[in-house]
Amino acid sequence: MIASEASATYAAVQSELRQGLARVFHPRCIAVVGDKQVRNYSWLKSLKPFTGSLYSVQVDEREIPGIEELGIKNFKALADIPEPIDFVVCAAPRAVAPHIVRDCIAVGTGGVALFTSGFSEHGDEQGEQLEQELIQLARNARLPLIGPNCMGLHIPRLGVRFSTDQPVHAGGDIAFISQSGTHGLNFSLGAALHGLYCSTLVSFGNGAVLEAADYLDYFADDDTVEVIGMYIEGVRDGPRFAHVLRDVAQRKPVVVWKGGQTEVGKRATLSHTASLTTNSRVWNALVHQAGAIPVDGLDEMLDVVKALRRLRPTTGRSIALAAMTGGQSVVIADDFAKAGFEIPLLSAASSDRLREFVNVIGGSAENPLDLVNTVLYDATAVRRVLDILDEDPKIDAIAFEVSAYIMHSRWAKNPALLEELLDTVAAFNQASTKTFVVIIYPGHVEAKAAEVRDALQQRGVATYPTFARAATALAKAIAFHTARAEL
Amino acid sequence: MSEALLDQARAEGRTVLNEVESKQILAAAGLPVIPTKLATSPNQAAEIATALGFPVALKVVATTISHKSDHGGVLLNLPDAAAVRAAYDEIRASTSHLAAFDGVSVQPMAAPGIELMIGLARDPQFGSIVMVGLGGVLVEVLEDVALRLVPLAPSDAAAMIREIKGLPLLQGYRGAPPADLAAIEALLIAVSRFATANPDIAELDLNPVIASPDGVRAVDARIVLTENEYSQ
Repeated sequence: MIASEASATYAAVQSELRQGLARVFHPRCIAVVGDKQVRNYSWLKSLKPFTGSLYSVQVDEREIPGIEELGIKNFKALADIPEPIDFVVCAAPRAVAPHIVRDCIAVGTGGVALFTSGFSEHGDEQGEQLEQELIQLARNARLPLIGPNCMGLHIPRLGVRFSTDQPVHAGGDIAFISQSGTHGLNFSLGAALHGLYCSTLVSFGNGAVLEAADYLDYFADDDTVEVIGMYIEGVRDGPRFAHVLRDVAQRKPVVVWKGGQTEVGKRATLSHTASLTTNSRVWNALVHQAGAIPVDGLDEMLDVVKALRRLRPTTGRSIALAAMTGGQSVVIADDFAKAGFEIPLLSAASSDRLREFVNVIGGSAENPLDLVNTVLYDATAVRRVLDILDEDPKIDAIAFEVSAYIMHSRWAKNPALLEELLDTVAAFNQASTKTFVVIIYPGHVEAKAAEVRDALQQRGVATYPTFARAATALAKAIAFHTARAEL
Repeated sequence: MSEALLDQARAEGRTVLNEVESKQILAAAGLPVIPTKLATSPNQAAEIATALGFPVALKVVATTISHKSDHGGVLLNLPDAAAVRAAYDEIRASTSHLAAFDGVSVQPMAAPGIELMIGLARDPQFGSIVMVGLGGVLVEVLEDVALRLVPLAPSDAAAMIREIKGLPLLQGYRGAPPADLAAIEALLIAVSRFATANPDIAELDLNPVIASPDGVRAVDARIVLTENEYSQ
């Protein structure tokens, strides 16, 4: 009874801490404590585009001129800042961290992210003790504390960043939760490259006060968030994480990238079952059981998020494949078949219409289509092919390959060819009723392929660099939509 | 009775329950196990076998061995009382080097079917985990298993079986009759409930479980209790 009362209290405090995140994630005033020259004032520089008021707190006289040169007002203490502070970034050394947290509490700041490291992750007794002290302070005062040992927040809409490389834009509907600062940064940079827009990204490091389950829970209730991605290495409260993941994944797609998959020595066990329940298998089971989407690495994370945000949802697995050469038509079929797709014969009506103009000498008018000699110089033919596939009742999704390594010399001679192709593909994507994915196969012209990718992205078309990546991402999105439809 | 068996093992400082004890506890919890009794003499083994019906299997009961067949501790398809008495002596002789010999278990031979392994383990972070895989050597060499966290929903049990690569063997390979998949799913759910109801059981092996068109039966079983310091 005592235990359950204690855990009820614990849960109530945790819930208050989570609710406090609303203010932290919508800041109007931010203060950076302890930024300095040796770090090139990178916190302050990163936060320069912040739409609200930005202040510095630094007591070291040698550091202050450099801060003021940035046009940022410095104070000696948080208490001196003349307006309510919604979010504090603390870059002060670990021994000072508890004092800063006390100051945050005293002036009633909304929350704090501790970039400061050297706590439980460090493995020394002092680090452990300091982390416990932070936990006590934050929980007692209901102060949402992010970290320690983290990079904190990236909110592109408000210009809140932890790196000057991160984009600022009108905002998006993707939330990303990362235990690692590096992978948080890589996700925000990769998302920008792939035309994906983040609402909020949080790097939470040690997760001493608020851990992955708390951020998941928060973003589940955030109506601006449509997709949640997460990079995770471990959790403090396993059963709670499992429960929250299951709950949230019923409401929004949650894409999970688990770091640390290899086994570092097996536990001593007495049964066969126990020896087979390795950590990575348990995580795999947990993610599947929750209805979340497992991914293996950053590329797949971005691929799947892109599929969820940019491709028309479908639960059907019958796909029409259109490639620019015979060889590609064979392997595009292999890769989509391996990912669980059906590649059916087209309806008789579609075949008849395609045979009217598709050059079948050296090509093929059957699924998978080989469009060599039909579309290389003729964007109108591309549109005719795609429209026929779109109207075929046997087809749920369409994949179209652009062989950049064949086309680049033609595009170089006649740039209008590329423009026509881009416009045609974009117009079809707008008009189509089906899931439409484009694969730009780079070959030796990676820069050109990237240019085509960007141009299509700007026109709202999702592209992938390989058949396998397109197939995997689309298959995972379909599995999610199918499970959702069955709920 | 289950409580008494658990208490007795604890009192003896054991965390591993032998086959006969494990099966008694599982049978009491409603899990489908082959009826099995402990014999401590050749004559008693023959009496039990006669009551259960021939043919029977005899297995050494000794908490110190996990691979009974590696020690000549298993004899199968014994057709009559004389064969059972001889088998008892043979097992006793071939396992005489073992420190702990508690007797011999007697059980009817299982009807033919596909061997599965079903079990329970305790993950230090996420709690009890249910596992299913194809039994025998396949599970050890290929590690073709599916896991889910307790508690299992019916959809989890269905998904687990379909996750195993060896699924076609259960669906009736080369004209063999298909196994009763619904019975396997029901057993997985029962194992999940068993874990929830018995928090001091850390690990469970049902290996093998024979799956046939008529249902499922656990042929061998082993329960491992939590170390005392972890018990609730």
